[in-house]
Amino acid sequence: MKKLMGLACLMGFSCQALEITVKDTLGKPLAGTAVWLEGDLWPVKKASLLKKYSMGQRDRNFTPHALIVPQGASVEFPNFDSILHHVYSFSQPKAFELKLYRDKPQAPIHFTQPGVIELGCNIHDWMLGYILVVSSGVYGLTDEQGKVELPLSDTQVGTAVLKVWHEQFENLNKPESQSLIIRDTSQKEVYQLKRPLLEKLDFLTDETDGYE
Amino acid sequence: MVMNKYITLAGGLLYFMASHAVAVDGQLHGVIEVSMHEQSRQKAWTAGGWGMSRFGTQSNVINVSRAALEGRLELSSAWSGNVVAQYVPDPDHKLGLTEAYLSYQPLSKRYQLRARVGAFYPRMSLENTAAAWSSPYTYQYSSLNAWLGEEVRTFGAEFELKRPARRFRSKYDVSFLGAVYKGNDPAGSLLAWRGFTPHDRQSVINERIQFAPLYALMAPQLAQQGQFVEPFSEVDGRFGYYLGTHIEYLKRHSLRVYWYDNNGDPSVLNHKTQQYAWDTKFWSIAWRSKLSKQTQLIMQAMFGNTAMGERRGVDNNFNSWFVMLSHSWQGYRVSGRVEQSKVIDKDVWQFDPNASQTNAVTVNIRKRLSQQWQVGAEWQYLDTQASFRPPVGRAETEQENLWRVTAQYHF
Repeated sequence: MKKLMGLACLMGFSCQALEITVKDTLGKPLAGTAVWLEGDLWPVKKASLLKKYSMGQRDRNFTPHALIVPQGASVEFPNFDSILHHVYSFSQPKAFELKLYRDKPQAPIHFTQPGVIELGCNIHDWMLGYILVVSSGVYGLTDEQGKVELPLSDTQVGTAVLKVWHEQFENLNKPESQSLIIRDTSQKEVYQLKRPLLEKLDFLTDETDGYE
Repeated sequence: MVMNKYITLAGGLLYFMASHAVAVDGQLHGVIEVSMHEQSRQKAWTAGGWGMSRFGTQSNVINVSRAALEGRLELSSAWSGNVVAQYVPDPDHKLGLTEAYLSYQPLSKRYQLRARVGAFYPRMSLENTAAAWSSPYTYQYSSLNAWLGEEVRTFGAEFELKRPARRFRSKYDVSFLGAVYKGNDPAGSLLAWRGFTPHDRQSVINERIQFAPLYALMAPQLAQQGQFVEPFSEVDGRFGYYLGTHIEYLKRHSLRVYWYDNNGDPSVLNHKTQQYAWDTKFWSIAWRSKLSKQTQLIMQAMFGNTAMGERRGVDNNFNSWFVMLSHSWQGYRVSGRVEQSKVIDKDVWQFDPNASQTNAVTVNIRKRLSQQWQVGAEWQYLDTQASFRPPVGRAETEQENLWRVTAQYHF
């Protein structure tokens, strides 16, 4: 998608995307930040609720690590590993548990309330994943350069609430927000976090972990 | 007797699993391992011989060196039933259970409680982390873990309280464990009358392991001792215990420390089974560091004491350690391990020398061909010195270099 858009931009077509670069409090680009727009002009698109969203488990990790879905979406939890995963959430917007085997998919989970859902596995307790349920039709995750392109239509210009969330926030339930005036659909913005991040915890697991 | 109870429990569990298979979920995994070995020039201890290598003159050059089946049945959100069955060809096509237990692990937001009840391995090893307590590094486990696999098993209940790093946004996983158990009374017999040796022959729950025709076992003082050990039999009716702690840093560095005490009363003998209770206590300290995504350093040391008889007629200190380096790349894993183990005879019984020393170097290379298939080769240099060999006219020191080629099929 991004590549296509980039190509379209190079070829002189209208980019139709709001580019947001997220930087941390030290000014360094921040990957893996969830960004979305809230407001009447950027509502959840009905068509997007028919899409299949998936939070898999592969090599005893959640894949993707973080998933953004619109409010009202349903998410599947396919297990690509040969071993059992016992996936759970205690998060307020949706608490649930699923015992998941490969080739035995469970019914998708329906997320009706916006908020952050922290996922764990009761068997492999280092596994950690996030589902962000957003009340928005315009959202994305920043890449390694801290950039995300949010596709907009010509009518989606006005004053939006820009929401920003990262897993290293001290309070995971409080995304940062800022009012943003969108004047045109190829606008470029830089957002610098207001609060410092917690230290990144870089766990190292491989196939020799977690057989017990 | 305790064994029979556990076999009944396991049988009941299997019956429960079979009869409720439709209603509840479960998973079944297994591994079949076919090996071609260079045979030792002696008959192995499992067949009552003097050989310290698992596959000796009594073995076929090609055999199914092990087949194991692991079953897990979900009984509820927190409870699961677990059974591990294995087949080994030595000495006489043995089929049995190595583990059968119920596990209780409720979902929790913060601190994690876990309990296991039944027959299972204490988690002292950072080497035996693959399916059915096998090693992902070498085919034959280090001497100290091979001994755990032969003579140490929990028949009781284990409780663990863990502070999982992720749930506290911490770098450290910390847990404390404790267990009470029965049925480990003869643990230590093999150290006295065979010594440490690296191998991959795990004992099943009702196992009986032969001894070589030792001079000491013909002596009147040991006339009541059978020519075998039934490692998991209960003799003195007392409970044993172990305490342990696991600490991990970002899953990169792991430490496991255990104190094991079977609380055996060495004066008690079961005349029927011809087994003494041994008073066996030891420390086990295991360390693993992931030096990079591909390279691991694994070390473990164990030291303790084991004694039997009213006046501790057999009284031995023992210690064992290994250091292993393992590197993986593109489906290959190469691992090298050096180890040394000693049994130090402390008692005054001159007719029963128990001192022994085992030095070994093991090198393994294996390749994962697919999700199911893995092939590999292993070379082991084994140097043993045993004071109980000269009394029957055998050389005290033996050296062997043995090759083994193994194919594993996982399902």
